[in-house]
Amino acid sequence: MIERVVMIIFATFLLTVPWTVPALTNPFWVSVIAEILIWSLFATSTNLLFGYVGLLSFGQALFFGFGMYGVGIGVDQLGLSFWPAFGLGIVASMAMALVAGIFAVRLTWHYFAIITVVFSLIFYFLAVSMKWLTGGDDGINFPLPPTFSFGSTQWSFADSNFQYFFILATVALCFYLMYLVIGSPLGKAFTAVRENDVRASLIGLNVYLIRLTAFVMAGFLAGVSGALFAFFGRYASATYMFYNVSGEGLVWTIVGGAGTLFGPIVGTTLFILIREIVSTHWEHHSLIVGTMAILAVIFAPKGLVGLWQDGLDRVMAPRAKQRDSAEVRSES
Amino acid sequence: MIETLLLLSLNGLIWGLIIALIALGLSVIFGLLDIINIAHGDFFMVGTVLAWFVLETTGNFWIGFVLVPLICFILGALIQRIVIQPIRGAAALSIVATFGVSLILQEVVRMTFGATPHRMLPPVQGTVLLFGIQYEIYRILAAGLSLAALGAFFVFLNYTKIGTWMRAVRHDRETATAMGIPAKLIYILTFGVGFALAGFGGVVAAPITTVDFRGGVDLLPVCFIAVIIGGLGNLPGTAAAAILLALMEGVIQSVANPTIARISSLVLMSAVLLLRPQGLFKGFAK
Repeated sequence: MIERVVMIIFATFLLTVPWTVPALTNPFWVSVIAEILIWSLFATSTNLLFGYVGLLSFGQALFFGFGMYGVGIGVDQLGLSFWPAFGLGIVASMAMALVAGIFAVRLTWHYFAIITVVFSLIFYFLAVSMKWLTGGDDGINFPLPPTFSFGSTQWSFADSNFQYFFILATVALCFYLMYLVIGSPLGKAFTAVRENDVRASLIGLNVYLIRLTAFVMAGFLAGVSGALFAFFGRYASATYMFYNVSGEGLVWTIVGGAGTLFGPIVGTTLFILIREIVSTHWEHHSLIVGTMAILAVIFAPKGLVGLWQDGLDRVMAPRAKQRDSAEVRSES
Repeated sequence: MIETLLLLSLNGLIWGLIIALIALGLSVIFGLLDIINIAHGDFFMVGTVLAWFVLETTGNFWIGFVLVPLICFILGALIQRIVIQPIRGAAALSIVATFGVSLILQEVVRMTFGATPHRMLPPVQGTVLLFGIQYEIYRILAAGLSLAALGAFFVFLNYTKIGTWMRAVRHDRETATAMGIPAKLIYILTFGVGFALAGFGGVVAAPITTVDFRGGVDLLPVCFIAVIIGGLGNLPGTAAAAILLALMEGVIQSVANPTIARISSLVLMSAVLLLRPQGLFKGFAK
C-alpha cells in the first residue's frame, strides 16, 4: 500500500519534472535528473548481473563505452541519422557482451570480476590508442541528428523538454523490460543460479546459458545507457570505458540495494545529487561521497531499499501477523 | 636493439619487484580478511606521497624507508578497525567500503599535496655499466630494497609468532580462535601490514615514477591480476606472477609501443585466467 503510493508520487514527479523543477529551483536540475536516469540504467546492468545472477562484474563500462562509441562513430564517421546510430550502439554493445560473455561466464566470483576488468581494460587501451577512430582520451564531439522529422518540423535533443522525455521514456521502457524478465521463468532461473548454481544445474537448468543470457542482457542495458549518454552529451570518450566507471556503477547498486529493482535508482540518485549539490560549494566533494559510501554499507548492509523494506516490515508487522503470516514477500 | 631490449627488460624486472611487494600486501588482505580492497592502489600512492613529504621536511630520503611503512601500518590498522571490522565477511560490501576509503585517500592527498604531479630526484644519482649498458644506480638499489623487503616479509610470515598466527587464522579461523589466537587483532595487524607493504613499495618507486594523487588507479588492476594469476592465497606465486607480468611487458615494449605492450599482456592474462583459473603455479608451491 505505502509502496504503491510512493510509486505514484515518484512517477508523477518524473512526468512533471520539466515544469515543477524549474519552478522550484533552477532549470539546470532537469538535465541533472536526465543524467541520473541514464546512470541508473547503467547501474541496473550491474544489478542484473550481481543482484540477480550473482556475477560480480567490474567491466560494465566496456558496454557503456561501446554504446557510446556506436553512436559517436555512427554519427561522426558513418554519417548515420539518429535511429540507425542508436541501433548501432546497442548492437555493438550486445555483440561485445556476447563475445566477452562466452569466455567470461565460464568463471565465477573473484575470477569473473577480474576477467571482466581485464576485458574492459583491453578495450580501454585500444580505444585510447586508436585515436583516428575514437579520438582517444579527448573523445569525439559530433553534431546532433534530429530524432524525428515530419516534413519541416523536427524533434531533437536540442529541445531540452524533448530530450528529457525521450530519456525518461527509454529508461522507463528498459526498467519495464527488466521487471518483466525478473518475474518470468527466466528471472526465477537467474535467482536459482545466484542462490546455488550446483542445485540449479541439478534441476536441469543450463547454468552456463543462463549466465550468458544475463550477461548479454546486461550488455544491452549498459549499451542503451551509453548510447543515451552519447546523445545527451553529444560526445563519446574512452575515459568512460575505464574500470572506475564500472566500479561506480557497482557502488551505486550496492548502496541502493542489489537485487532490488529500484535499488540502483536510489543509489545513483543519492551519489549524483551529492556530487552536484556539494561540488558547487566545495571542491573536495569526494570526501563526502567516500564517507557516505562507507556509512551506507556499515548502517545499511542490505542497501537503502533493503533498509526501507525492513522498516516497512516493522511498521506493518502487527497487522501482517493478523492476516497471513505465511505470505512471502516477492523478490522485486 | 639488444640494448633497448636489455634496458626495458631490466626496467620491467625492477618494476615487477615493486609490484610484487604491493600485490603481496593485497594478497595477504584478500586471503585473510576475504575482502576486495579497491583502495590498495591508493595505499601505494599514499606511500609515494609520504616519501615526498618526508624528503621535503627532513631533506633525507632514506628516513622514509622506516617512517613511511610505519605511518602506513598505523593508518591501515585504523582503517581496518573503523571501516572494515563492521562489515567483515561481506565481500560485496567491502568493495563499496574500500571504494569510499579510496576516494577519501585520493581527496586528502589532493587537498594537502595538490593536484599537480611531482617528480622526485633519486637520492643516488649517476649510472653504472651493467651488461654493457649504462644503468641508473638507484634502480639497482630499488631492486635490492624490494628483494630485501620481500625476503623480510616471508621470514616474518613463516618464522615469527604473529606471522604464524596470521597463517593460522587464514587457515581456520574457528580453530585458531579456540586455540587462543586473538583473531580480531590479527585482522587489524594484517590490514596494517598490507598497507605497510604497499607504502614501502611506494617509497621505493617514488623516484622512478611520478608522485600523483591518481598514481594508484593504474596500478590496482595489475596487482589484482598478479594475485589471481599467481593463485589465490599462493603468496610466492603472487610475487612470481607480478615479476613475470612486468618483465613480459618490458620485453614487449622493446618491439612495440607501451599501449600495445599493455594490451598484449592483458590478452595473455585473459588466456591464463581461462585456461588455468586456479593460477599459473598450482602444484609448484604450497
